Amino acid sequence: MTKYRIYWLFQIIGWFGYSISQVIAYYYFNDTFYASQIFIEALMCIFNISITHLFRNIVVKSGLLEWKWPKLLPFVLFAIFLMTMCNSLLVSVFEYYWDPSSINTELDRKLFAGLEISAVYFLWTIIYFVFHYFERSTKSLQYEAAISEFELNNLKTQLNPHFIFNALNSIRALVDEDPKKSKQAITQLSNILRNSLILDKKKLISFEEELNTVKDYLELELVRYEERLNVDYDISPESMDFNIPPMMIQTLVENGIKHGVSQLTKGGSIGIKTHINNHTLVIQIRNSGQYLNGKSKSQVGLGIKNTIKRLDLIYSDQASFSIENENSDTVLTQIVIPETI
Amino acid sequence: MKTLIIDDERLARKELLSLLDSYPEIEIVGEAVNADEAFSKIQSLKPELIFLDIQMPEKTGFELLEMLDAAPKVIFTTAYDEFAIKAFEYNALDYLLKPINTDRLAETINKLLSKDDKKEKEEEKTPRKLSANDQVFVKDGDRCWFVKLADVRLFESDGNYIKVYFEKNKPMIHKSLNALDEKLDDRSFFRASRKHIINLGWVDTIEPWFNGGLMVQLKGGEKIEVSRRQAARFKDMMSL
Repeated sequence: MTKYRIYWLFQIIGWFGYSISQVIAYYYFNDTFYASQIFIEALMCIFNISITHLFRNIVVKSGLLEWKWPKLLPFVLFAIFLMTMCNSLLVSVFEYYWDPSSINTELDRKLFAGLEISAVYFLWTIIYFVFHYFERSTKSLQYEAAISEFELNNLKTQLNPHFIFNALNSIRALVDEDPKKSKQAITQLSNILRNSLILDKKKLISFEEELNTVKDYLELELVRYEERLNVDYDISPESMDFNIPPMMIQTLVENGIKHGVSQLTKGGSIGIKTHINNHTLVIQIRNSGQYLNGKSKSQVGLGIKNTIKRLDLIYSDQASFSIENENSDTVLTQIVIPETI
Repeated sequence: MKTLIIDDERLARKELLSLLDSYPEIEIVGEAVNADEAFSKIQSLKPELIFLDIQMPEKTGFELLEMLDAAPKVIFTTAYDEFAIKAFEYNALDYLLKPINTDRLAETINKLLSKDDKKEKEEEKTPRKLSANDQVFVKDGDRCWFVKLADVRLFESDGNYIKVYFEKNKPMIHKSLNALDEKLDDRSFFRASRKHIINLGWVDTIEPWFNGGLMVQLKGGEKIEVSRRQAARFKDMMSL
């Protein structure tokens, strides 16, 4: 919102200042000015604000900010040419209306005025794009810093070595008991390891990819916990159209098992449910256990803290996260993710 | 050697069982899936050795050890708790990382069996009470010790806790001094007063004190007053 305010402040002050300077310059060269002159400049001020705003809307809507310079330049030049044309036409119409003799004004004076305004439009475009360029690069720097911090924490908490080695140990026992299943388990473990490695390379992955990682992970936990773990999926088919940050559901599911199910002698269940609500993807993870909110001795909350931070960096305030005790034996974790960033 | 396997995962127990198959000296008397079951099986089966997983539901392997008066020989089996194992600064115990390396297991068991041969005879004489050769598990915050009772100079009661003095450490255990006194072998340990039990092996000097009491200085430097009532018993025990 503040970004939008800055934009309007620049628009109004910039174009108003330009129009005033035009009047002053006219006065300086001609030692006099007409009311008509002021009127035209005021109208042109409004016109310039409107046309550059239109230009900005086109740029934002068609995602031009993502384009590289060589591709962008012809479009920008063409846009400036069009805006200049509109501007010159409007000025000519006004001048003719005020003073029909102005039709005879020399062509080179008109050409000069056109060049001048196109230079101003060009300057406007440069300021607009440079501002965005800097803003985006600081944002991506922030994201990278957070990701590397996340990765560090990841080593400690998320895809934890405890899980990997326990899984390997179960697989080793499984080799004698059920060779076919043990082969499958090795593939599942490879998939999880691979996914945790691409974490730093991709900001978003498809929901389907993430779901497959989670399924592989839970299959392995089923090998470990056997009848002590129940897994339940209720995935709405539309979820597959969404993109989500990699390892996000995985982290929360793993947390649910680590702090929930694995702490219960009789075991428990974990369920993943999604639905679409008003163009957002709602992901609900329910696990047996109780959420202690940092009261437990282990590092509860590091995974949660990371998740909140990542959501904020990627979606600003468009995504949301919550974790609470749904009842005396179930914890509900919920993420809401928008369709587009 | 009677052995109990404690792990909450069936496959992990199975894997360990199959690895131990090649050691006829190790006789598996039972398995337990959590700390509480392990506690009762240790009481009833009296294993000499336990293979203990650290991460288990509800109570960890450490908490199990804290529940026991005297710990059997313990070999920790853990997937990735090196930090927890490293907490053992004293009397470093053996631990095996899962998946278990067969060579490492052989090493551990051979070490255990060769030690066992020497100790077996002397331990037979002390059936119930805790002798100086027994070890107790002590945990204080993040640090853990298996302390041989012979190394403990002094037990001092402090509220509901007992301070265990050995080397430069004095961690606390949650027990009453009376309960401990009953378990300790009175040839090695002496109840000096309401608040203290001293290890006779650590007594340095003895001086007469007020009211017919005694002041005992231990080799660690601690001075303990022996009450008048206990002083008479003490003289009896210490004199020829």
